[in-house]
Amino acid sequence: MLGGVIRGKIATLRVPTEADLADYSRWMADPRVRRGGWVWHEPAMLATWKERLAEIAKDRQQVLWSVDEKETLVGLCVVTMGDPEQSDAVSFDGLVIAPPAQRRGIGADAVLALHRYLFDYLHTRVADAVVAADATAALGLLERLGYIRYARGANVRYREGARVDELSLRFDRATWDERWAPSEREYQRHAPEAAL
Amino acid sequence: MLGPILLGTAGVSLRPPTLAEAQLLQRMQTLPETTRFWGPRYGEYTAAHVEERFKRLVSGESSVNWSIHLDQEAVGFTGIFHIDWIRRDAETGIFIGRPDLYGKGVATEAIRLRTAFAWRELRLHRLHNWIGLANRGSRRANKRAGYTEIGRFEQAWFRSGEWVTEWLGEARNPDPQ
Repeated sequence: MLGGVIRGKIATLRVPTEADLADYSRWMADPRVRRGGWVWHEPAMLATWKERLAEIAKDRQQVLWSVDEKETLVGLCVVTMGDPEQSDAVSFDGLVIAPPAQRRGIGADAVLALHRYLFDYLHTRVADAVVAADATAALGLLERLGYIRYARGANVRYREGARVDELSLRFDRATWDERWAPSEREYQRHAPEAAL
Repeated sequence: MLGPILLGTAGVSLRPPTLAEAQLLQRMQTLPETTRFWGPRYGEYTAAHVEERFKRLVSGESSVNWSIHLDQEAVGFTGIFHIDWIRRDAETGIFIGRPDLYGKGVATEAIRLRTAFAWRELRLHRLHNWIGLANRGSRRANKRAGYTEIGRFEQAWFRSGEWVTEWLGEARNPDPQ
């Protein structure tokens, strides 16, 4: 599936298009992105990227968004909606922000907006994420948002000739409600019935 | 991929599944007796869907699949799934379709065979799985093959009036090459 528009303060998640794919491919080949620990597919020719876009558009659970800053493409993100038994759970698969656009708060803003959509709009019960234990930027971003660690796999990932642990984290709606709900809403509350 | 024949003890063996076995095992997954910790018990339960799924299993390069046989009868299935050939990590799973065999050691032997294959033939580095915490038999069988707990996911899903916690375990190749 392809995601609709979610607006943050500086980032906008929007429906991906074929025009985005050349940038996707370039990012996935970039060692700075790969060092972050998550890529959405390996680099490939444009025709393959078009097939991937068509595939995820038909997928029943995975949702892909492109991320814009001021109408310029700067990233992408993917989540997996829960299966029938866990329809109120979501996996936050990953976010890529183009290296030149990093360290400007776009990722944090995009992730906050995404989770506002998940918790406030879709009424998600719990979100989970998996990150490399040495991905300090990603970990910091998730933990500031409200994710907590619940599992650690030893030496799971392999890159640059070494193994690294993998952390599993979860973010419950109770935490969202306590930390973010007062200030982050998709819509203003309905007026009291008497005032309608 | 379909796995090769692995002969175990007490009549248990792992064998490459046939389409007929895949059909049988799907019927087993529709029973309340087998699904307390397995699946939503509804789905695309058609012969055509099973055949399509079976073809994907045969041609896929990121999983190894077996039927579990007790003597000459297929009684369940197991596999190594989502193999990441760079990390050399994979997820594992098992289903026993005959409830009268629970607690008889069939799963323990199947998991032992599967795990040894992962280390000795696939040269995997790590296996991991998710098991309902209350599914003590499955946890015990996996622990005997070397799986240890690395975390728990509370309130993973809801069944029969209570939340189910999932036990997340991993096994490490004792002799990685």
